[in-house]
Amino acid sequence: MVNAIKGLFISCDIPMAQFIVNLNASLPASQKFIVHMLDNTHMFVQPHVAEMIRSRIAEFRDQNSYEKPA
Amino acid sequence: MTGHGEKSRPSKKIKLSNKEEHRPTPVDAEEIDFGDDPDEDSRYDDRIVKKRDFTRLELKPDHMNRPLWACADGRIFLETFSALYKQAYDFLIAIAEPVCRPESMHEYNLTPHSLYAAVSVGLETETVITVLNKLSKTKLPKEMIDFIHASTSNYGKVKLVLKKNRYFVESPFPEVLKKLLKDEAISRARIFPIEVGSQGNDSFTISKTMGEIESGHQELLNGVDVAAAAEEKETHSFEIDPAQVENVKQRCLPNALNYPMLEEYDFRNDTVNPDLNMELKPQAQPRPYQEKSLSKMFGNGRARSGIIVLPCGAGKSLVGVSAACRIRKSCLCLATNAVSVDQWAFQFKLWSTIRDDQICRFTSDSKERFRGNAGVVVTTYNMVAFGGKRSEESEKIIEEIRNREWGLLLMDEVHVVPAHMFRKVISITKSHCKLGLTGLHYIQICGLLYNLQIFLSAYIWTGLHVSATLVREDERITDLNFLIGPKLYEANWLDLVKGGFIANVQCAEVWCPMTKEFFAEYLKKENSKKKQALYVMNPNKFRACEFLIRFHEQQRGDKIIVFADNLFALTEYAMKLRKPMIYGATSHIERTRILYAFKHSPDVNTVFLSKVGDNSIDIPEANVIIQISSHAGSRRQEAQRLGRILRAKGRLQDRMSGGKEEYNAFFYSLVSTDTQEMYYSTKRQQFLIDQGYSFKIITSLPPSDSGPDLSYHRLDEQLGLLSKVLNAGDDAVGLEQLEEDADDIALQKARRSVGSMSAMSGASGMVYMEYNTGRGKAGQGQIKSKPKDPSKRHVLFKRRFG
Repeated sequence: MVNAIKGLFISCDIPMAQFIVNLNASLPASQKFIVHMLDNTHMFVQPHVAEMIRSRIAEFRDQNSYEKPA
Repeated sequence: MTGHGEKSRPSKKIKLSNKEEHRPTPVDAEEIDFGDDPDEDSRYDDRIVKKRDFTRLELKPDHMNRPLWACADGRIFLETFSALYKQAYDFLIAIAEPVCRPESMHEYNLTPHSLYAAVSVGLETETVITVLNKLSKTKLPKEMIDFIHASTSNYGKVKLVLKKNRYFVESPFPEVLKKLLKDEAISRARIFPIEVGSQGNDSFTISKTMGEIESGHQELLNGVDVAAAAEEKETHSFEIDPAQVENVKQRCLPNALNYPMLEEYDFRNDTVNPDLNMELKPQAQPRPYQEKSLSKMFGNGRARSGIIVLPCGAGKSLVGVSAACRIRKSCLCLATNAVSVDQWAFQFKLWSTIRDDQICRFTSDSKERFRGNAGVVVTTYNMVAFGGKRSEESEKIIEEIRNREWGLLLMDEVHVVPAHMFRKVISITKSHCKLGLTGLHYIQICGLLYNLQIFLSAYIWTGLHVSATLVREDERITDLNFLIGPKLYEANWLDLVKGGFIANVQCAEVWCPMTKEFFAEYLKKENSKKKQALYVMNPNKFRACEFLIRFHEQQRGDKIIVFADNLFALTEYAMKLRKPMIYGATSHIERTRILYAFKHSPDVNTVFLSKVGDNSIDIPEANVIIQISSHAGSRRQEAQRLGRILRAKGRLQDRMSGGKEEYNAFFYSLVSTDTQEMYYSTKRQQFLIDQGYSFKIITSLPPSDSGPDLSYHRLDEQLGLLSKVLNAGDDAVGLEQLEEDADDIALQKARRSVGSMSAMSGASGMVYMEYNTGRGKAGQGQIKSKPKDPSKRHVLFKRRFG
């Protein structure tokens, strides 16, 4: 019998995939969201985490970029 | 202007399957600071973003022919494509500080200090205003005119002149001298000429001095009455007691009488100190900008003290040697370490007719003494300022240095010398004229001090007070301006590139993606101390580095320097690639041997350097720099490293714009993407971008078909490297901790200097240093620990900038 899970398919580069994996690992078991790692650059996650991932990545990237003070 | 030349980073592709668009969150307006040198950042302090309204400015009818815009807030914009650019540039550089100088439009800022420098090279208030008004497209704002008046009214009115070894206070305005003499300390110091006797206290010696020979700005003034400037001027002067000079100088400072004195040395009339028979060799042809900087120094037939700013590789040493040849008196030349002492001695012999027995080196290794009664001594700051016990031999030499009157004190790389050391050197040595040479943007040296001085001048002046027994240590006050003198000249980098005087450098930032395994470790919290090691040792970066070395060695036959601050990485890279390396612990002999091989052997084309190579190691042959790791966000280091390859190579006609070779030097900065290194890297580039350089971004190195040709192709090799990094101790993977050699001055400011305890216990000579690496802060995620919120600015600064 076929089991269908609604979820989100993420495609990204290798480091970002690692970032998301690391994020997933840092959460308690009940909040883990990765349903399946498809390969190095693709994964299937639970549908509600899109915003969270997005904001975490934005935050991470902000830390790594320098804006010339005006 | 501020955004000019800055590249925007393309957003990383993050595709989420639902159609919602990825919107970048607005970046925090606060400045994120990683604990860089405070004075590096301060130049931005005075640039609060504010919507300024310029609509009311009135354009002159012939504004098309005029090259600049002057704004009421003191900023000046110069169009470099204007026909008058050259003249306007020379003028602006004399009166204002360059902020940003990209190709077509420069930004300058008028500050009290830049105006002080202007006055001290002989420009008068009215000249400044008239020329500025002539060049400006708009009517000069009243605020600016008032500002110039207010800043210059007292500056440059009084000079301290050393003539025939007697000190004179000189001024064209007798009323100013009278005012000074009302001060008790000064009137006590006054010496009355014997022959005149007691002819009355308020009569001054009147003499004629030559007017400015230099006519640079007068071509702009045609029609304006400047006859007075070119003719001989009448000056009034009185003599003061040499023992009281220090006191008198202090009474004239802004916290007292507010007539800061300019120092000039009338070397032609100095009959007391013996002449040194040296001249420039005929083949030493100073370039136009070198001539110009010298003409600023010797503008009125005397030697002015001050600082000359030329990019590294533009021939600072020729300027120094020429100055010494003009003054033709004993010269004390201070360098930062033993290697550059050798180089200076070589430069003196190369450019001038000085005899070998007239020049000597004084370092911990070689203690030479010159014969005869005049000569050149080349030594290091540390040797002179050293406080501990010396060997008998060096004690004798230092005693000679102390007792001699030097015609010229030549100071190399003034930007790296801590202020307390300066004060010590200057208080120990008696020199008539001081010339500082530096490769860096002047504003970076004084930084915040410009602003500080305006309001806290009293505090600063006391900070500068040097008494015989006590040198007041105050690291925050590093004011070269009044210790040495004002900036005499500063060259524009891009103009020198166009003229073919310095190399045309292709700057590139190579983006190396982190490998999966390295990035996974990088993200782990427990590895926060190893972050740097992880992004530096990123196998993709290693491969890019290897590829670049191969390409430049084999395809172009270039000579390559690879810089790594991280000692662990330096060793790993150099060992793996089988290249020689030099770091702090490498002995002087070993260094010399490696550098000799690099210069002369066709087999040694690449050398790995730690940050000991940032300054002063002179490698004229190198034309490629690959930077694999660096000291956080230090703009100064970036510029210094670039300076290693700026010396122009090849034939002049090929180098000129439109010549055969578009670029003849390459500067690669390898950056691991998605790591903190990206932040540092962008920050580091700011200085060069402000000088008009642009960075090209390369994302596809090494090419995907390079495969197993390069190291770390296979996963197991990469994993081996990873475990090596992870197993290395935290200390090993950190920044190099230099054990300072006795002659060296390293970059960092935070340092522990020799204490008396160590001297007593016989450990003198061992100087330990501490680095503020900023790693601790960054690693713990306290990235926003130093927000620069304008509303938190001190009330004094608010008043100026608010």
